[in-house]
Amino acid sequence: MSTDGEVLVLDDEGIVCDRIKEHLGKKGFLVETYTESRTALDRLENKTFDVVVTDLKMRGPTGLDVLRFVKQRSPATQVIMITGYGSIESANEAEIVGAFDFICKPFALDDIYALVKKAAKRAKKLR
Amino acid sequence: MTWWENIFPRRPRTDSFEEIRRKLEAFHKLQAENNRALELIAQAEEMLGGEFIFDRQSLKVLARDLEDAVRSVVSSLNRITDDRYPGLVPVMEHVRADVQAMLESRIVAASTDYLIPLEKVDASLADAVGEKMARLGEMGKRLECRTPAGFVISAHACQLFLEDAGVLEAMERLFDRPAGMSQGQMKGRAADLSARVLNSEPPRDLARAIRRGVKQIERRSGSDRFAVRSSALGEDGELSFAGQFETILGVPVDEVLDAYKRVVASLYSPAVMRYRLDRQLHPARGLMAVGCLCMVPASASGVVYTLDPTAPEREVILVSAAWGLGRMVVEGTGHVDQYEITREQPHRVVTRRVAHKEERYALGTPKGVERVPVPIAERDQPCLQEEAIEGLVAMALRIERHMRRAQDIEWALDDGGRLFILQARPLQLVPHAARASRNLSEAVRGYPVLLRDQGTIACRGIGAGQVCIVGEKTNVDDLPPHAVLVARTSTPRLAAAVETAAAVITDVGTATGHLSTIAREYGIPAIVDAKNATQVLKDEQEVTVDAEENVVYRGRVGELVRYQLVQYSKGAESAEFKLLRGLLKRVAPLNLRDPNSPRFVAEDCATYHDIIRFAHEKAVAELTEGSRFRLSPRSQRIRALDLPIPLDLILIDVGGGLAVSPGSKKARIEEVRSRPLRALLAGLTVEGVWMTEPADMDLDGFMSSATRSMSLAGPSAGAVEHNLAIISDAYMNLSLHLGYHFNVIDCYLSDERNENYIYFRFVGGVTEITRRLRRTELLRRILEAHDFMVEASADLVYGRIKKITADAMLAKLEMIGRLIGFTRQLDILLRDDSLVDRYVGKFLQNGRASAPGKPAPAEERTST
Repeated sequence: MSTDGEVLVLDDEGIVCDRIKEHLGKKGFLVETYTESRTALDRLENKTFDVVVTDLKMRGPTGLDVLRFVKQRSPATQVIMITGYGSIESANEAEIVGAFDFICKPFALDDIYALVKKAAKRAKKLR
Repeated sequence: MTWWENIFPRRPRTDSFEEIRRKLEAFHKLQAENNRALELIAQAEEMLGGEFIFDRQSLKVLARDLEDAVRSVVSSLNRITDDRYPGLVPVMEHVRADVQAMLESRIVAASTDYLIPLEKVDASLADAVGEKMARLGEMGKRLECRTPAGFVISAHACQLFLEDAGVLEAMERLFDRPAGMSQGQMKGRAADLSARVLNSEPPRDLARAIRRGVKQIERRSGSDRFAVRSSALGEDGELSFAGQFETILGVPVDEVLDAYKRVVASLYSPAVMRYRLDRQLHPARGLMAVGCLCMVPASASGVVYTLDPTAPEREVILVSAAWGLGRMVVEGTGHVDQYEITREQPHRVVTRRVAHKEERYALGTPKGVERVPVPIAERDQPCLQEEAIEGLVAMALRIERHMRRAQDIEWALDDGGRLFILQARPLQLVPHAARASRNLSEAVRGYPVLLRDQGTIACRGIGAGQVCIVGEKTNVDDLPPHAVLVARTSTPRLAAAVETAAAVITDVGTATGHLSTIAREYGIPAIVDAKNATQVLKDEQEVTVDAEENVVYRGRVGELVRYQLVQYSKGAESAEFKLLRGLLKRVAPLNLRDPNSPRFVAEDCATYHDIIRFAHEKAVAELTEGSRFRLSPRSQRIRALDLPIPLDLILIDVGGGLAVSPGSKKARIEEVRSRPLRALLAGLTVEGVWMTEPADMDLDGFMSSATRSMSLAGPSAGAVEHNLAIISDAYMNLSLHLGYHFNVIDCYLSDERNENYIYFRFVGGVTEITRRLRRTELLRRILEAHDFMVEASADLVYGRIKKITADAMLAKLEMIGRLIGFTRQLDILLRDDSLVDRYVGKFLQNGRASAPGKPAPAEERTST
């Protein structure tokens, strides 16, 4: 595969998915996006990604559920959590240990790119 | 004041040590919160630039943080000034309430008259007249486009109408849980609301105002038929709603009121509701402003696209034209003429397709519009001749330049061949075409780079034009429009010229400064802190400023300019973007720019930005104008400073400014721990800077000095307010009475660049006003050469510099120390204007200058 890595983006706001996909796509990543966490979990069951970028708070299974699932199924996959501004405190830190990193909204597209790049490198190293 | 106090006035208050400390702490708090508020506004504006991911919650938190910062600024100001500005609190609450309403998706209509004449409308009135009418008014008012006579029935009027008719109450009831509603339910309830509007009468005074307005326009223009056009609020115009709201053409005078109701009722069309719901907006909460405009008796009309929306790189303008009214072109239901014209001058028609036009639209009888046959002789004739095309293209490009985006413009020619603009909106591009135009790295390769990665981007975007270097003597009122303004500092003087500039570059400045904020307010590409742009760029040189990648190219880079015109962002369509834009409009514009204006008062603050600007100005004035602090000389933290020059200076340490042994009466220079004071003393005590001998005085100077001595008798002897420095490790407020000069320097120096500042205030002098004015000029020039922003009037000089690094602060303070010594008795020596040049040069050249000394006799002779 000639891409820099395969990324799954999960956020219940379609616009967030679209814009991250457009940006990472331009930078050489292969990106799939989901706005429903159940559908994303189905996909994660069948396919291994280098990086999963997921919103923390969502209807249905949350970002933490996605994190646990990914870590169980494919430990090398790196998970980046998107959190609402200031809401990181409300997440139980013990629970989110295992995520590669966090990024708070609002964030710049270049910032998420830098994180995904680092995470993809780590995932490839662990494989 | 009581009668008792009138007879026995209170003794002047002596501030306790704690009182002074409390006020200084409040000032630092105000500074910090002022910076925080500016940074939040800058962050919000940057988010609007399209490079950020955010959601509604981010905006709520941002609004809350901003509110906290502004509230803190206001309460700090009132602490510093003993509650002298209570009027700021209700102003702040008013802004807060509007922001809150927006965050809760309530549409906020500006309180205005029912009717606003179109000639009084501009872009700033969008929250009163809707985007569509605001743009039309803007074109008439600012670009001198000919627009139809008419008026706008405001959104405020719509709100009253809907309230009066019980529609708003019914709407909230019927749509209390819109998310779970079926299509059928929504359709039924929408029809209910529409019917309520159509079956109600507008309040009597509103109806009367509309009738009167229509009659006036009829009398003035002679036209008895109107176009009644929607101009909805709360969306970004009708950009995304095209065709979904009602617009009614050919309305006779006595049916305008009914047409108004139909347009308002179109707020509740099922299509609009579905659209709003899809974008997570409340489906029925909208307000409608309505334009009532004369029908233009059009001989021909049509549409101009300033770029080809499917292939912007072709650099052509597309014009479609038909005989009669423009509906044929807009609807696309008949054959129309088509032209392609080059964007570059001289504009050439590259394609001309003249259609066989059998029908045209004309005013119907007795109302509406209807299709009628085109006379046979005209069917194959072009609708537009060369001259008309030229006029149309020139106007379209003028509109594009003003709006800074490619435009979709509806136009008409009347019987006399006069061009009318009926509507303009940003051109919707075919997305793949916009994306294709973003592959720019190849395209820019051939252009020489003049500046790269120098400084900070204050407002993203691309601008091209001729360089105009703005020097200290440049009259900003004379600056040409569409120029790339290049200045040494981000002086507020530039603010007035920013709106019409192609781009702005400054050598010094920060992205959170006022100029940067103004650039973002108008969407003008801006790079600040570019170090040496004023030296690298030359007057009248053609350049392209890429404030996306922080590069300045020589020449006009067509690919980049086009990219700016077609910039397409999915984010720009989201509800969050619209909300952010609305919030910024309410908090970010700076209206209070001139502290000397009589309108620079608390009650005239309209936005958060106004409030913090006002508060900051007043707080600085409080600390620098006169001696506000009075302190008992027995306080334990006061020491006289032992200096090698004849200057009595009392130090008051409010924390970490001194390290002296407890029993000592005087502090030595080595014991000063205050970084700003140490730096200043280093300059002040440079050998030769301090003139120890009285300056020679000629007779004029002597007489003036003698009379002035009496009129300027200083404050009572013994008060510690003379030559006083209130210091901490990072802070210094220094008041110096030297002869008859009064100097105040207030500064804060830390490793956090954004908190750093120096305020320098100098007033007074011993000679007659002409010499003191020369000294004013001298100080102004020296300070400006050191990147201070300077205001000077009569013999008052007020300089300020902010947000520079700690090292730069130390250098500036050392310079100020030298300057104080250098200018101590300088006005006596300034016998003619040419000596100002000489002394300015001497100070600037010497760096570590010596005292001014006497000019050589030969030079004195030649200069008089």
